[in-house]
This record gives sequence, structure tokens and C-alpha cells, in this order.
Amino acid sequence: MGLPLFDASNDPGPSFLAFAQAAGMRLSSGHERELSAHATTVVALRCDTGVVMVADRQATSYYVAGRDVRKIEAADAYTGIAISGSAAMGMEFIRIAQLSFEHYEKMSEMSLSLEGKANFLSPMIQNNNFSLGLMVIPMLAGWDQSRQQGRIFEYDGAGGCYERSDFATIGSGTPFAESTLRLGFRSDLTQSEALELAALAIYEAGDNDPSTGGPDFVRNLFPMMVTITEAGFVELPTDFAGATFRTILERRTASGGMAGGTLR
Amino acid sequence: MSNFYYVPPEQIMKDRAEFAQKGIARGRSIVAAIYDQGVVLVAENPSASLYKISELYDRLAFAGVGKYNEFDRLREAGIRWADMTGFTYSREDVEARALANYYAQHLGDTFSNGYKPLEVEVLVAQLGNETHPTKLYRIGYDGTIADEERFAVLGGDAESIRARFHQLSTDIATLSLTLQRAISALAGTGRNIATGDLEVAILEERGVRRTFRRLSEADVDSHRQ
Repeated sequence: MGLPLFDASNDPGPSFLAFAQAAGMRLSSGHERELSAHATTVVALRCDTGVVMVADRQATSYYVAGRDVRKIEAADAYTGIAISGSAAMGMEFIRIAQLSFEHYEKMSEMSLSLEGKANFLSPMIQNNNFSLGLMVIPMLAGWDQSRQQGRIFEYDGAGGCYERSDFATIGSGTPFAESTLRLGFRSDLTQSEALELAALAIYEAGDNDPSTGGPDFVRNLFPMMVTITEAGFVELPTDFAGATFRTILERRTASGGMAGGTLR
Repeated sequence: MSNFYYVPPEQIMKDRAEFAQKGIARGRSIVAAIYDQGVVLVAENPSASLYKISELYDRLAFAGVGKYNEFDRLREAGIRWADMTGFTYSREDVEARALANYYAQHLGDTFSNGYKPLEVEVLVAQLGNETHPTKLYRIGYDGTIADEERFAVLGGDAESIRARFHQLSTDIATLSLTLQRAISALAGTGRNIATGDLEVAILEERGVRRTFRRLSEADVDSHRQ
């Protein structure tokens, strides 16, 4: 493309989507195919240092299509974005969100607020899901620089954006993950307690929902674990996730597959 | 009936060049220089919010002198071009030379066909890696493009600043040294520029995708000592 210059009266401003439209680019449209919109489980919890996020890594079609899918990405240094639904649309969704936040920041020499980022996703979901039929549901969590706290936003299929003060889950494993979180959540969780609870929620989802993958000890692939604090977005190393899930596995093995009367 | 006078094209070009040069000379200058770890861009700019230096992409920076509204529009176009190119292809396909050429074409076209030439000079700096070299492209008001070797000077008094910087720096040095030299080249003899009147940014590898970083007043002060 040539140099994209605009008159002041029709300048698309700092929004990448508005610019893409003005430049005549059409973002991908849906294909007629059967789609399961929720083959995934991602959870996010608030804790004393900010937010933790954990997601399974399985892509499900009629068979297991992928075992190492990344469903959480850093939208920027302080924001995590997670997706459930169509993998192709989800990847594009994340790419556009990342690019839009960075584009805005460079154009206006100022980052968007966390709430600004959360609201930005609403029309994206609306356009996507109304025209194509429920394809992607995201979740946004991050460190709010102005409020100095972690915040979590979830969405419904119509693009409605809801802030959660405790925890949020998306994907087909939601009933199992959510039950675990409901029983185990406290408002004064430390970061390591939150990580452990989130891992347990994903373990439960993986154990009960065929479209959610659990820890894969054979391939050394584990659910993705992320913390977002004042220091920013950090993906925890595989060793850490491996050790966390091995602990859960050993407890469950000892109690014959049951939680054993306690939340563990 | 209006009279039509013949004006030789040499005269038209000369008038236009003079007009653009006068506009550019009203503003202050910028020095961009390669140092041992990256590229530093130094502008004399008393405003803390109307920037002359800006991030374009992961490894690209922009600098502009002259009329603010004119170079800011070029800056925006640069960011849009870079983000769209990176989105369409890949992040590593966003390269300084292509953008510098677009700027050169636009400035050249406006110089010869526009109502008036743009009163700006711009620079595209690129931090090199395994596949792309470190580059400084300076583009003049008439579309002249220059691939500067170690440093570039933009602005009204460019010739004398260039001479001063050239005299001060014969080699590729550390950030502190390069910054000090750039500041004294901008200031000239017998003048001191307060840190508050400087805008400084660098392109430097620091383990993250985006290499552009603005230096705070405290950062610049620590390098000036």
C-alpha cells in the first residue's frame, strides 16, 4: 500500500479498525460451516497482587486438532486477552485487538485505559457474532494503571461487557470450572492460592468436558498459566505449570479420582 | 483579461525551495546518531507534549522538523503504513527503506505539483538486526532522500550542526557520549540547552519486541554528567 494520507475532515483517527475500513480493507468474513463456539476453558481470578489467568490448550474439532494452542495472549504489557470459540476467528480477534491497542498508543502517544480496551472489544464481538453466528467470546483481564488493581471483564454473545469483581470463566468447561471457583474463591486470595485454585478449576473442566484438555504429562504440555500484576503480564514457565498439575494429579490419584472431601 | 507572464521553471523551483527552507529554518533542529547499542534521536523541543520524535514500529522511529501539522500528518501516515503492512504480511516485513521512499515520493510530488511545498524535513531511523541493517534515512522538503551513514541532522541550521557533530564524533561511541556530542552540536559554542528543552528517544534492544523508548529528564541528566 502507498502512504495512507487523509484530510483532516475524513481522518480515521487513532483506531486501527476505522483506518482499515477507510483504506478499503475487509476483515475476514465467516464461512458456512458447523462451529462449536465454546470448545475451551479459560479462567481468570482476582488476587492480592492483581489477576491470574489459566487456560487449557486443546483445539477440538471432530477430533483433537491441537494440543498446544495458546488461548491467552498479552494484548499489551499489562493486559491479557483470552478467547473461546472458533480458533481462526479467535486468532484474528487477538491480533486485531493487540494491533488496535498498540496503534492507538502510537498514534496518540498515550495508552488506552483498561476500561477503554474492555469497551473496544464489545463492537468487535457484536459484528462478529451477529453477522456470523456466535463465533468468538473473549475475556479481558489486566492491571489497571490508574486504579492500581487487577480487573477482569467478561462478555456475552451480544457484545455486552461486564466487569467481574471476583472471577470469570469462558468456554465449554465453564460449568465445571465455575463450580470449583465458586467453592474455593475468597476475596483475600494470595497469588499462589489463586494460581492453585485456577489450576484446579481447569483440571476439573479437563476431567469432565470432552472439549477441554487437561494436563498432558506424556507430551509435557500443561495449561497456560499467567499472572498480571503491577510488573505486567508474565507467562509462568512450563516447569511451574507442570509441578502445579502434578501436585493435583498425585492428590487425586491418592484419593481414587475424587477430590476427597476437600477442595484440592 | 489577465496577463500571463512566463516564469522559467528554474525560477519556480528556486522560489519554492526558498519558501520551504525559510519555513524549516524557523524551527529548531534534530540530531539522530548511531551509537554502539542502537540509535539515539535528540531534538531541541521546549514542549513536553508536542513531540517531534515518535515510535513508528518495533524497530522504526520517526523524526520531523518544520511545520508541526505537516510532519505530524506524515508521522501518522507512517504508523498506519507500518501497522497495515505488518498486519497484512509479517512484522519483520516492515522496513525503513520502503517507507522512506513513500515519504520521498509524497514530498517530491507536493514540491513540484502542490499548491505549496511542505515545510518539513523528516527522518526514518531503523534499528538493525540479522536481516535488516541499522539505517538513517533523511528526506528533504523536495523529496531528496539521503541514506546517512553514521548520523543525520535535520532542520534550519543543519550545515553548521552537522559540521560540529562531525568534528566531535569520529567513531561510534556509547549512548552517553553520543548524546553529549549531539547536545553540544545542537547548542553550538557558548550556549547550553537545558535538559527540559530536550526531547530524547532511543531505539535499543532490550529483550522486548518494541525497541523505541523515550528518555526521561532524569535519564538524560544521568547521561549528560
